[in-house]
Amino acid sequence: MSGLRERNESAWLLPAGPGTNSKLRDRMRRYADDDEVDVVIVGCGAGGATLLQRLARAGWRAVGLDEGPFWDPEQDWVSDEAGSHHLYWTEPRVIGGSDPVPLGSNNSGRGVGGSMVHFAGYTPRFHPSDFRTFSWDGVGADWPLEYGELRPFYEDIEAELPVSGERWPWGDPHGYPHRPHPVSGNGEIFLRGANACGITAKVGPVAIANGRFGNRPHCIYRGFCLQGCKVNAKASPLITHVPDALAHGAEIRPDSMATRIGFDERTGLATGVEYVHDGINRFQRARIVAVAGYSIETPRLLLNSTSPRFPEGMCNDFDQVGRYLMVQGAPQTAGRFQAEVRMWKAPPPEVSTEDFYETDPAKPYKRGFSIQCVSPLPITWAEHVAAQGHWGAALRRYMSDYPHWACLGALCEFLPLRENRVTLAEETDRHGIPVARFSYSQCDNDRQLMSAAQQVMERILTAAGAQEVITINRYAHLVGGARMAAGEQDGVVDRNLRSFAVPNLLVTDGSVLPTQGSANPALTIMALAARAAGVLVQGARRGTPMSMKED
Amino acid sequence: MTGLPLADADGGGRYPGFSALAQAPHWDPVTAAVVQGRMALPPDVRFFTPAEEAAARALFDQLLDQHAEPRVPVVNMVDARLAEDETDGWHYDNMPRDGAAWRASLGALDREAQSREGCTFALLPLDGQARLLQDICDRGQDLWHGLPADRVWGLWTRYACTAFYSHPLAWDEIGFAGPAYPRGYKNLGVDRLEPFEVRDVRPEADPTRRADR
Repeated sequence: MSGLRERNESAWLLPAGPGTNSKLRDRMRRYADDDEVDVVIVGCGAGGATLLQRLARAGWRAVGLDEGPFWDPEQDWVSDEAGSHHLYWTEPRVIGGSDPVPLGSNNSGRGVGGSMVHFAGYTPRFHPSDFRTFSWDGVGADWPLEYGELRPFYEDIEAELPVSGERWPWGDPHGYPHRPHPVSGNGEIFLRGANACGITAKVGPVAIANGRFGNRPHCIYRGFCLQGCKVNAKASPLITHVPDALAHGAEIRPDSMATRIGFDERTGLATGVEYVHDGINRFQRARIVAVAGYSIETPRLLLNSTSPRFPEGMCNDFDQVGRYLMVQGAPQTAGRFQAEVRMWKAPPPEVSTEDFYETDPAKPYKRGFSIQCVSPLPITWAEHVAAQGHWGAALRRYMSDYPHWACLGALCEFLPLRENRVTLAEETDRHGIPVARFSYSQCDNDRQLMSAAQQVMERILTAAGAQEVITINRYAHLVGGARMAAGEQDGVVDRNLRSFAVPNLLVTDGSVLPTQGSANPALTIMALAARAAGVLVQGARRGTPMSMKED
Repeated sequence: MTGLPLADADGGGRYPGFSALAQAPHWDPVTAAVVQGRMALPPDVRFFTPAEEAAARALFDQLLDQHAEPRVPVVNMVDARLAEDETDGWHYDNMPRDGAAWRASLGALDREAQSREGCTFALLPLDGQARLLQDICDRGQDLWHGLPADRVWGLWTRYACTAFYSHPLAWDEIGFAGPAYPRGYKNLGVDRLEPFEVRDVRPEADPTRRADR
């Protein structure tokens, strides 16, 4: 553990017990807009905050901008579903395509900590095959990076969150720094059903410390992980990376909406970020700009950053910005039991199986899906029931049965498709900036995965003794939209997350993922950002000029 | 306020004596304020016009089967969200933003009722309202008064469920004790209850075994 504390002291900088270190925030270093800082980062979520912490630790003068608040979990978050609406990005957006994807709740975030503030907490690694889906399976794309190059960063981040779970037999087999958590009724049903039909299921991997971690308290199993962890037990960058970043001289500027990336036509370099704070337009100068606004807002910011050099948007020379955006198909299947499951008790992330993750040559589809516990709270559960066409007396009757239901969710690896993308809409937000239009259409492979996953979930629940099963089709996660590639014609950034078109501009969030596997993306986003930070720091030590590619 | 009226045949009375609000002393003050605030006099209607309000009241009473007092004040709760523009932000490219979609769809409800029975939706008898709503629910992706029916249905049920099942009295009838901080749970597992939870007295009341809808 001493090595861990030496590279990231966040858990020891928090107060013992719930709460926030307000002294650290009050004494935060502050830069002037016209200071040319070493890096300005747009977005303080999984990618942005990890990069901020790494660079601040290396002595860089680093500023993070975030559109939302600098949360105080005790004061700003509630143990209540409807009362947590402010955790989501609810600025206007337009959705279309043949399978439009609703946004604004589980797949969005705002404020320091980003969407990890309200993510369930699942932090699986990607499998080695995810980096080679085109070569191995003839679908998707190959990454300009190997799994092995990311492995040390997976290990680092797993220790820093930290992650709890059983020894993981899938992908690149590995263990976790913390023991698995005890499971609730929902997890028990999953384990029982999986066991009965010969499917391997394991407890984890969950970014919730099992036991005290630094000053962070033990989980109290209250089940409101998706509403922000008031306990400080579940990881989010707000508590895992931001405290250490501040202690090393980083500044975080909340309530700051980035509107455009500055660009110098003469040098071809980014000059900083235009943003709005308290209604005033400001500009932070910086030697390097990193964009980490996630898969909708990152492409939107690039597309809105036009200039004579980039009339179609920054880094968009080859019409790649906004493309190959992916969601995971996330059908949820619930089963009815005579016993009381009370699935809302304990954290929703508990048990997973990755038995169906890889391409099965016996199946007509490529790639696969994972299955995890999900435990909808009453409003989400009511939407699940209403989606079956129940309303009025039938809805109330179904809902009165809530304690008897267990619920599983799948993550299906939808393929990256060129036309699934963000463009700019006619509509503008209150700053007068065009909003994102997100178009999504599934392909046949996607639909086959959804139906295969549903069948497996029904099989597990039935084997566990369910009398009846119901399924709702939904989506989870967003990745892609500014993907990394081997060359500039196929993506926006290189393997070090540096844009092909502007040498001192990086994208360090989930939008760089070329494929998504059947894994929740948070851990991989953090690992990629940590790796990119390492490359930047090494480059700076070597004195490499910014205009040169390092590799 | 006493419990919400719900007949035994419709799932009422399964958790006798259970009250989520009785757990309030165990909640943190910030959460308690948010949840207990829902028991206060609801805000006056500001967003809906009187005609829209009438249609919305009848619509929510149908969607949530609230035909007697006390009621969860769903129309005021939805109106407050729309007045504050507290939406999820996104809208389908073939639907207007939520506020405009609400106005358009409530207007369409009245036009539909007028064309069927010559009166507004609110003045239809309850069974007439229910038939009209079931027709819309069954239309799928077809256009209904120029709007995709499934998107209208989704808009209505999403707002209705969010308001109703955020209310502590609605939690009482589903056995959910509400906020769990800072107490947490200590008794995890199938059929394991906390001392403050109340066991379902009619576990055989499986709604999936009823064939009436």
